[in-house]
Amino acid sequence: MSDTNAANPLVSARGLCKGYGKGRARVEVLRGLDLHVNKGEFLAVMGPSGCGKSTLLHVLGLMTAPDAGSVCFDGVAAPARAGGRTAIRRDRIGFVFQRFNLIGVLSARANVAISLRVRGRRDDGLAGELFERLGLSEVAARKPGQLSIGEQQRVAVVRALAHRPDLLLADEPTGNLDSANATGLLDVFREINRQGQTIVMITHSPEAAQAAGRIVCMRDGKLFDHNP
Amino acid sequence: MAYLPLANILHHKLRTALSVLGIGIGICMLVTLTGLTRGSLFDSATRWEQIDADLLIYPDVWDKDVVTMAGVGVEDKLGQNILARHGDLVERVVPVFLWRLEMAGQVHLSAGVDAADWSMLTRLEAPGDGRLFAPRASWKQYKLDLEKRQFPAGRPEEAAIETDRPGDLEEYGWTEMVIDSRLARAGKYRVGQFVTTANHRWKIVGIAPAGGMARIYLPRQIAQHLFGNSEALSTMFFVKLRPGVDAETARRALAAPRVQVAPISQYRSALKEKWGVMFLYVDAVNALALLIAFLFIMITLHTMVLERTREIAILKANGAGAFFLVRQVLAESFLLTTSGTAVGLALSAAARWAINTYRPLLTVTIEWQWIVTAAAAGAAGALLSAMYPAWRAARVDMTEALTFE
Repeated sequence: MSDTNAANPLVSARGLCKGYGKGRARVEVLRGLDLHVNKGEFLAVMGPSGCGKSTLLHVLGLMTAPDAGSVCFDGVAAPARAGGRTAIRRDRIGFVFQRFNLIGVLSARANVAISLRVRGRRDDGLAGELFERLGLSEVAARKPGQLSIGEQQRVAVVRALAHRPDLLLADEPTGNLDSANATGLLDVFREINRQGQTIVMITHSPEAAQAAGRIVCMRDGKLFDHNP
Repeated sequence: MAYLPLANILHHKLRTALSVLGIGIGICMLVTLTGLTRGSLFDSATRWEQIDADLLIYPDVWDKDVVTMAGVGVEDKLGQNILARHGDLVERVVPVFLWRLEMAGQVHLSAGVDAADWSMLTRLEAPGDGRLFAPRASWKQYKLDLEKRQFPAGRPEEAAIETDRPGDLEEYGWTEMVIDSRLARAGKYRVGQFVTTANHRWKIVGIAPAGGMARIYLPRQIAQHLFGNSEALSTMFFVKLRPGVDAETARRALAAPRVQVAPISQYRSALKEKWGVMFLYVDAVNALALLIAFLFIMITLHTMVLERTREIAILKANGAGAFFLVRQVLAESFLLTTSGTAVGLALSAAARWAINTYRPLLTVTIEWQWIVTAAAAGAAGALLSAMYPAWRAARVDMTEALTFE
């Protein structure tokens, strides 16, 4: 079964195939997967560990090219060249990871600043606003090691949003959070989604998935509609 | 602080300190060893070049060995002849008897000179401390006095006058010497002190500022007598030309059998020619030290890249291209090597001070040329040692790094 929700797609993936390894050790992770994510949608992708959720996220985020199939971003096919994919990733996509992946030697504010710098953007004030909104203003000068787990994840969210991406990709964003922090983060996601932010969230938590407007399940390298 | 390379350097303090020290030692070796070998070797050339003379005359058999010559070389009367025949060209001919004397645990060039010529050789009016040696009488008169004293009834034809008795030499001031301030500092010598060298006791009567042609000055006749067995032979002549006389023209005019006439600058070029191979050796050691220092940097940066694979993957996920990542590694390398070069130059200055203070007979000359060379070596080393780690950083597989987080 394939995803057919294609009213106003920001990202469209068709026939995605992706595998790892060679010969008999090769594992096919994505097997002809189709997915459409509409603008302003909050999509949760669920599935058991190892089913290929993260690989799907990496392909959608143009971090890796599929072995077969195509990804269109805003109606335009993603370039085959790594440089072209990097440009789209830099300008239009934001990532939040399970382990936050903040740079330990930089303060929270500098983590966001370097992300903007990488993208060749100037801080237009959104970063400060997000720090304020997510209750991080007081700790913005601290390094990740001096922040709580929840604060680190919120900093990662600020970093992912500060350049106003069209698409926010989140890979198990609540995986390392306690329930209070997870709820807080999902509230943030819901709020920014209400303001128009498109979000694709990978999760194996049914509770987290409930925050999304649509849930799809992944099994054997393909997607299935979630039927509770 | 959004400047990642600087933040990394400040965060990993021990690693940074060791890297900077490693480079610093390499740079310090380059500057100090070069300054020490060239400085010490060319110190004598520099001192000879300040002599108020234009030409050297020495036995032609010495050729390039002019830099090591000592003992008898030319007849004093040749100097008188030159002055008599070429008075239109030559203002002054100064005979010097060179010998090597051991003082303060080291062998030094000593110059037997006439008191009247000392100023020309040192460009000083008088020693800063004490006085110039001043034999009470000429060597001829000294011998006559001794003859009368030793043979009051007349000297038998077969009897020889004993001219080397310490009491006599001292009484007449023949065993007085002037040394330079660096030798005085090295041996903790002072004016009025007696020292024993070359089997004779000498009295230090003056200490002159360093920079003159030799470290030790003796009366020329005693040097000729003790070390040359002749009071008529000197080692070489320094020739001062009359104002306006072309040195090359004079050099050709003064040419004579069995002697070589050369400009004083010949001394430096002869030094270079004779000891040039030593510079090759020193430069090779310096290059090796720098190579090791930069290999150290490469290993450090490579380890940094391996340690921070996930961080690099995050930057790539955020859109950092290969150029950005390469720039980060190069910038970190440049920061480390720039700091290392600065530390190396500071260490070199400290080493020079320590050498000048504790080994005053050695000369360390730190020239701009070598500072620029050190800075260029630092920049080149930064670039070369960062290339492979930078390449590795640019090739980090972000999906792999993030998948196995």
